[in-house]
Amino acid sequence: MIRAFFSGIRIHVLQFTKNPFDVSGVLLWPILYASIAYYLLDAKNDPSLLLSASLGAAVMLMWSLVVIGSSGALEHQRWQGTLELLVAAPVPFAAVIAPITIASGVVGAYALLATLAWGTLFFEVPLAIEQPLAFVVAIPACVLAIGMLGLIMAATFVFYRAAFALGIAMQYPVWIAAGLLVPLSVLPDWVGPVSWFLAPTWGFRAIQEAALGRTPWPDIAMCLLLSAIYLVAATACLRGFERLARRNGTLQLT
Amino acid sequence: MAAIEVEELTRTYRSRKGVFRRTTTVVEALKGISFEVERGELFGLLGPNGAGKTTTIKILTTLLLPSSGSARVLGFDPAREAQKVRGRIGYVFGGERGLYDRLSAIHNLQYFADLYRVPSADKRRRIAELVELVGLTGRERERVETYSRGMRQRLHIARGLLHDPEILFLDEPTIGLDPIGAREIRETIAGLRQAGKTILLTTHYMFEADALCGRLAVIAGGAFVATGTPADLKAAVADRTIVEIETFGVPEATIDRLRSVVGVTRVAVEARDQAQVVLVQSATGAELVPSLLRELEGSAVGKVVTREPTLEDAYVELVGSA
Repeated sequence: MIRAFFSGIRIHVLQFTKNPFDVSGVLLWPILYASIAYYLLDAKNDPSLLLSASLGAAVMLMWSLVVIGSSGALEHQRWQGTLELLVAAPVPFAAVIAPITIASGVVGAYALLATLAWGTLFFEVPLAIEQPLAFVVAIPACVLAIGMLGLIMAATFVFYRAAFALGIAMQYPVWIAAGLLVPLSVLPDWVGPVSWFLAPTWGFRAIQEAALGRTPWPDIAMCLLLSAIYLVAATACLRGFERLARRNGTLQLT
Repeated sequence: MAAIEVEELTRTYRSRKGVFRRTTTVVEALKGISFEVERGELFGLLGPNGAGKTTTIKILTTLLLPSSGSARVLGFDPAREAQKVRGRIGYVFGGERGLYDRLSAIHNLQYFADLYRVPSADKRRRIAELVELVGLTGRERERVETYSRGMRQRLHIARGLLHDPEILFLDEPTIGLDPIGAREIRETIAGLRQAGKTILLTTHYMFEADALCGRLAVIAGGAFVATGTPADLKAAVADRTIVEIETFGVPEATIDRLRSVVGVTRVAVEARDQAQVVLVQSATGAELVPSLLRELEGSAVGKVVTREPTLEDAYVELVGSA
């Protein structure tokens, strides 16, 4: 199962890198998101916000890549007829689907670093990381947690034929509820408890706390805890949705 | 114990349309089919498009749940013991889909070998053997998107055999292939049968079923209309003679007149290039030709051939009367 998992990550990253459209998107999006941090969030007028805003934009991009990447990958698998073959494989379905979201997360980690790099190059974002070790740990923890949240989403993508459209629709609520687009303090009080259940909230905070030299480790621990919870929930959802898809005959398009 | 046991299997599809006035369409894809496939046997499922062949294979390969009835694959229930079935079977379908096009054949095979738990120590050797078996040696590192349809199909078969499954399900493996490509696939299938694999093959090519299958079932409208060896099926129309009349632009009314000629049991029309070939089944054969030609007066008529019935004629008879 472990071999299938890592082989899946390898094959999906390979598949991604062979598509010039996807690759060019990942090269250009970080510039776009760095610009969002600088102009849209108006961080340029408040230098103390500049790094936080850039990190928020970078995690936004990572989430987008995971949710769009995994939904797009699953819809593509359905179109190319490989989804049925993945379901028909004898390894647990979660071990087949998780690599798709993790592979998207790996691409997302690159995009996160690229967003910060472009911000530094173009918009003079101060890239002074106070706790480099915690920062290096926070990034994979964030990738894992966001990837596992993507796995729960992937369960629905397996069932619904219009997975890609659903994936695009799932970007924005998480951007807002996780405090990536605007700080949670300016949102209604009820959004706070919702954000606690979202991996990007803790992933963003972990990276931010490490960068600013505060206390990232509790946030990293929350990322890992949420990852475990998501994995259990996603496995149950995948099992349920796989059975529904087998009952309704929705594993293929034709 | 048989390799595959199917009893009274049914499958109904429901599809809904509309937002406010939702309408539900119900299609009965399988209407209670039963059959068994013995170990080492090559069993064929023949039928026209939409007859229920693929639905049957999908239920047996765990991809679809039946509405009622039961199935056992190597003693396991594909609905409830899917994981146990999946490691023991191989599933290959025809057509262009089912492969990672942007990757090479080797990358495809490596990935599926890991998904099907091929031991690491055996993986490289197994892939090399299969690449050679399906005749892709030298091309295995090229992207699949550059492959011809026949090469893709051969790669599909290699993928289905990676974990050395006890049963191989082949769903129309030669569909859309050119004659040479199709012949190569049939040779590969015949080789697998000789090697002792249990194979369930679906096809709508009669000569393919005749050449490969030990036993077969003809399915139409979700129900079996005949089962037996190819010889058994041919025997069902052995008392008939077939008159093939090549025509050009014959109207439907004329075909109807042919049906009413005394002694005619069935009339079918096949398009072959520019011509329509009228196939007339009867017990009397050549004696009927003058009457048939009289009915075709005024129409352009080419060759007229009288011959013994083939499996295809038996199939047309069985499906047509279903």
